[in-house]
Amino acid sequence: MMEAIRQWWRARVPLSGEQLRTLTNEPVPYHLKRWWFCLGGTPAYLFVIQVVTGIMLAFYYQPTAASAYESVGYITNEVTFGWYFRSLHKWAATLMIASVVLHQMRVFFTGSYRAPRELNWVVGMGLLLCTLGLGFTGYSLVFEQLSYWGATVGANICRTVPQVGDTMARLMLGGDAYSSRTLPRLYVLHAAVLPASLLGLLALHIMLIRLIGITELRFEDEPEGAPEHFDFFPDHLYTELIIGLTLMVVLSALATILPAGMGPPADPLNTPNVIKPEWFFFATFRWLKLFSITFAVLSTGLVVCVMVLWPWIDAVIRRVTRWKDASVWIGAAVVLTIVALTIWEAVVTH
Amino acid sequence: MREKKTPAEDNSPERREFLSSVAMVGGLAAGYGTLAVMAGRYLYLYPAGAQDEAWQFVTELKGVRVGEALDYVAPTGVRIVVARRADDGTAADFVALSGVCPHLGCQVHWQPHKNRFFCPCHNGVFDPQGKAIEGPPAAAGQSLAAYPLKVEAGLLFIEVPVVGLGSPEEV
Repeated sequence: MMEAIRQWWRARVPLSGEQLRTLTNEPVPYHLKRWWFCLGGTPAYLFVIQVVTGIMLAFYYQPTAASAYESVGYITNEVTFGWYFRSLHKWAATLMIASVVLHQMRVFFTGSYRAPRELNWVVGMGLLLCTLGLGFTGYSLVFEQLSYWGATVGANICRTVPQVGDTMARLMLGGDAYSSRTLPRLYVLHAAVLPASLLGLLALHIMLIRLIGITELRFEDEPEGAPEHFDFFPDHLYTELIIGLTLMVVLSALATILPAGMGPPADPLNTPNVIKPEWFFFATFRWLKLFSITFAVLSTGLVVCVMVLWPWIDAVIRRVTRWKDASVWIGAAVVLTIVALTIWEAVVTH
Repeated sequence: MREKKTPAEDNSPERREFLSSVAMVGGLAAGYGTLAVMAGRYLYLYPAGAQDEAWQFVTELKGVRVGEALDYVAPTGVRIVVARRADDGTAADFVALSGVCPHLGCQVHWQPHKNRFFCPCHNGVFDPQGKAIEGPPAAAGQSLAAYPLKVEAGLLFIEVPVVGLGSPEEV
């Protein structure tokens, strides 16, 4: 009987245990025993949490200007454990953005984006932009003051992009200004378009990692005769499971101690006297205050372009200057600038 | 004697394969091209934003004294400050400034103690005439939009955008 079931299955899914083992058992370089090299898996894990908690929230959320705020209030105050799922969703988003940035910094400062991994860096930039897009559309959905004015400012930033800006802004808002068409669009972006894009890019990201392999690094303090690789299954899976459990505990604690609240509801006639976006846009926000809109938008666009093309720019810099650590110093300067702008925005009212 | 191709050579398998790939690629390009043109022509995601402008009643002239201002909300939800500066009984007595910051669209606040409009989003500052004097709007030379006004039979009218047919209700 068991043999008959086995044969029936084999005929339909022709994959042997041996093949499955080769498919999943990527040899993992020894340096991945260090936890900060597992930062790439962290956002992927958090993304799964976002999908699950997001689906939970979608059962009650209503993407219309008339009822969005009330439905979020209903989730927060009425639905059993609604506050918990909403807070998990908010905190996992925060940690996801933080870990994506940390992962990118790790890849940058260890030079892991260099040939032949340039394309995977570009895919990673796509993942970063998707994540930031999800963060932006996410807080637009609550339809509190910040949601409304954030979306308005975001659309107007789009509008200043030469040539295509106006079309982009119109597509995002569903008209010339924020209207009853806008919230459904942000919702579709947040719950369908961006997660699907992120999933596609993530598959590509992991596929390229598997095809090319992880950059192999050696550290001086590694024990003599330490093996060069260990098995993905079960060794690395254990590491990931431990990280997953730790994350779950941290998220749960954050959600309980600092649950997601609600600001005043959106009022199109009144911009609050003190208004700030979520922390991950603090640097951009401060930048917009410092310079004229054209310069601020074009320079931000330029920074993103340079980041996307960095593996090739870096190669040119290294060839021309023969300075091996150029990228480290440039990266450190950029990181410090962004951190400084973020802190500046965080400590002042205006 | 010139070499002459036989019909059999003309119909060589390579030639037939080449022609069929050309036909296939051409057909696909034409098909998807038509689709792209149609998609561009009738952009599903691009709503017809029929927005008109119309003269709307604001107030009686005698309702606003010199130095006073009132808030007027246009049908599209734009908040406009209408202030009276003189007592000649013409439209030139008044100034109607949009409350929407020309930088990125937030609502400006009138700060009477500083005699200025202030935008809380990116620190734009405007003088009482709506001219940008500080912050990103000043850097870009943007001012608060002024709306046309007219006086008829002692009543003040303003020309503002109104919700056109097919436009959704503003939030």
